[in-house]
Amino acid sequence: MADERTETFVRSYEQLKNEVHKVIVGHEEIVEQVLVCLFAGGHVLLEGVPGLGKTLLVRTLAACLDLSFARIQFTPDLMPADIIGTNIIVEDTGGRRHFQFQRGPVFAHVVLADEVNRATPKTQSALLEGMQEGSVTVAGVSHRLPMPFFVLATQNPIEMEGTYPLPEAQLDRFVFKLKVRYPAIEELNEIVDRTTRPQEPTTDRVMTAEQVLAFRELVREVPIASHVRTFASLAVMATHPQWEGAPEVTRKYLRYGASPRAAQALVLGGKVLALRAGRFNVSLEDLKAIALPAMRHRIIMNFEGEAEGIDADRLILEVVEAAETATREGKEVFLR
Amino acid sequence: MDDAAALRLTVRRLIRVIRLRRAVFYGLRGLAWGLVLAVLPVAFRSLLGPVALALAAGLAGAGLLAGVLSGLLLRVPPGDASQVVDRAFGLHDRVATALELLAARDETALALAAIRDAADRAQGLDPRRAVPWRWPREARLIPIPVLALAILPYLPPVPLPEDIVAPLTPGQEPEQQRTKAEAPQVADRPAAKRPERAERVELQEREYAQRQAPTPEQARGDLAAVFKDTSVAQKRPDFSSFLKQGDERLRLLERADSLPDLQRDFTQSPYKVVFRKSRTLLSGIDPNQLSRERLRQLLEEMNRMGRRGGSPGGEGDWSQDVWEGSEALEQGQMSRALDAMERALGKMRAMEERERGGKGLEGGRDRGGRGRDASRGAGGDGEPDFGEFEGSLPGKGTNPGWRGDPTGRLGQSPIDMGVEGQARKGRKEAYDTNMMGRGARNPSRLPYMSVYSQYRKMMEDALAKESIPFDYRSQVKEYFQSLEER
Repeated sequence: MADERTETFVRSYEQLKNEVHKVIVGHEEIVEQVLVCLFAGGHVLLEGVPGLGKTLLVRTLAACLDLSFARIQFTPDLMPADIIGTNIIVEDTGGRRHFQFQRGPVFAHVVLADEVNRATPKTQSALLEGMQEGSVTVAGVSHRLPMPFFVLATQNPIEMEGTYPLPEAQLDRFVFKLKVRYPAIEELNEIVDRTTRPQEPTTDRVMTAEQVLAFRELVREVPIASHVRTFASLAVMATHPQWEGAPEVTRKYLRYGASPRAAQALVLGGKVLALRAGRFNVSLEDLKAIALPAMRHRIIMNFEGEAEGIDADRLILEVVEAAETATREGKEVFLR
Repeated sequence: MDDAAALRLTVRRLIRVIRLRRAVFYGLRGLAWGLVLAVLPVAFRSLLGPVALALAAGLAGAGLLAGVLSGLLLRVPPGDASQVVDRAFGLHDRVATALELLAARDETALALAAIRDAADRAQGLDPRRAVPWRWPREARLIPIPVLALAILPYLPPVPLPEDIVAPLTPGQEPEQQRTKAEAPQVADRPAAKRPERAERVELQEREYAQRQAPTPEQARGDLAAVFKDTSVAQKRPDFSSFLKQGDERLRLLERADSLPDLQRDFTQSPYKVVFRKSRTLLSGIDPNQLSRERLRQLLEEMNRMGRRGGSPGGEGDWSQDVWEGSEALEQGQMSRALDAMERALGKMRAMEERERGGKGLEGGRDRGGRGRDASRGAGGDGEPDFGEFEGSLPGKGTNPGWRGDPTGRLGQSPIDMGVEGQARKGRKEAYDTNMMGRGARNPSRLPYMSVYSQYRKMMEDALAKESIPFDYRSQVKEYFQSLEER
């Protein structure tokens, strides 16, 4: 039974990935991590310069899933009501007037929050409740969002003029932060080929909402060994400069460490990776593979780190290595 | 065989391999240390005699045995052993997870699948490949003691100090002399010392004879006798030479009265204790709403300490003030009682200052406010002041009420340097003030350290919060570092 479900998951996962890659050239890792996040039940923040296909990736993914899709272009004058919805007065057939809730674009399965850092913090925070609770509250009435609810936000690391960097509370709600890199020359050639033909590639819908929800449940059933779980906790704790076991690099360059959500992200992402590989347990390698996207947006550099221009990714790799060493420390030489 | 049994069998086999490898590892380590120790009895075989070789062999064997036993008996947690299997065969923590699931009796579909998967992969694995041979660092040193043990029996025994050997081997002397007579071929080596040893034995006997009945003169001369034959006896300590060389630290020791009394806890002095209580009592309360009972307790406490305050009726005696305060309190005159208490507190503080003298932690530097206080009569009988409020209001040190925090200038470090500004060239927007007299020659100065730290903090905030281009950050930081170095 478990084998069947796992096999179905692996097959569907590969199918979905292949459909996405019909349109998206390269970005193997990004597509992989977006799918991991989809099945882990989290939300993704995509960061990259314009023109790298962030928006196209999200649109393609939505097209491959049999789910409703909404795109919100964040601008400085966007208001929370533009996202969530608002109460409007309607007149029924009897001539009586009453308030009716007009749903905003957030009421979709897949929501693309394009250039999320261009809106004001007030508007950005309109997404907070939906991302965490799966519901929004308007005029004291709570409205459930359709499940699965998957937010993919994009932001541009340059052109910081007139932008509002996402507050830490909002950043923490994204399970992964993915950095979209520039394509290689071969990939660029392929992109040019595909996008300048008379017929652009099309995709099929290969997964339904029910399937996504079932896979999410399956992912949560994947067992994890205690030492693997401890490694996740150690990796998170090792980012806290106040922690007594923190490595030197953390004490030197970090002001605040990752929240417990980082450990949750590590474990859930690890479970998806394990299941995708046809394995029934999470391994240390799974956690290490997603340490960067799960933790890079959850640490805050101190003055030294900012001034020295320390790369968050490099720092996280060092922290993870220190955590791995710490898990084996104290063991006898043959068990190390 | 079911999956659980197969998994457990794999782990048990691995544990056995680990124990064997450990036995070799720790056995070699024990052997190395045992051999090092075994060199000692062989080297000093003249002291131990025929038991030396047996003792050496015993030490080496004991080291080996202890190492092997500890290697065999050291615990191998199955969880750790399963992680060794996983790492060695690239099983991605399958075995460790499966063992935990078995221990937890988890029978969900995925758990059972995980156990089956782990058992399938663990079957047929050779545990010996999972545990590599490891050699202790000490193993490389084993040839050294072995070589020493092989050579030492052919070398003469290590000569020992005679005063150790002689008392320990009193019965061996005739036997050694006989051996010497029988084996004249070895007599030309260290045996040449033997006549001297005989002399030393005589010398010892002579000294024993002296100590049995020492006269007072002899007893006095014993210490000199110790140094009689040494070069130390010719030297005398010349402490004055240190002073001649001008060692400042020694000179500082001469002025012990000016050193701060670091062992004394000033915050726990009677004055401080009473002062804190009085401040708690008086802070922010209308004098008419004061608790009589608490004021009386405070006065009684001050009265108890009053008897130590110097001669009765003298400057340091505040019992009179306390008595006046108590009397006023009995008559219901709160303000009079408070005045008396303040006077008594002033006297206590004066006594405290006298006791401390120049031994304050401020390093003998005259407190800036003291001179000014003197001109204002602070601390005197006429105007008692609560010294703690100095600086609460610039220029109003005697005011007992809090009026906000001290200004930045008063709070700054006294060790600072004033930096004079430079007038810029060109047209100025401000008016020039014509000043006359001495003040005209005084340039305006800013305290460098204080201003620098303010700017540095602003720089750090700006770097942390604002989007300064990356290329400029190091430049800004280096600029402030260069200022700090200056």
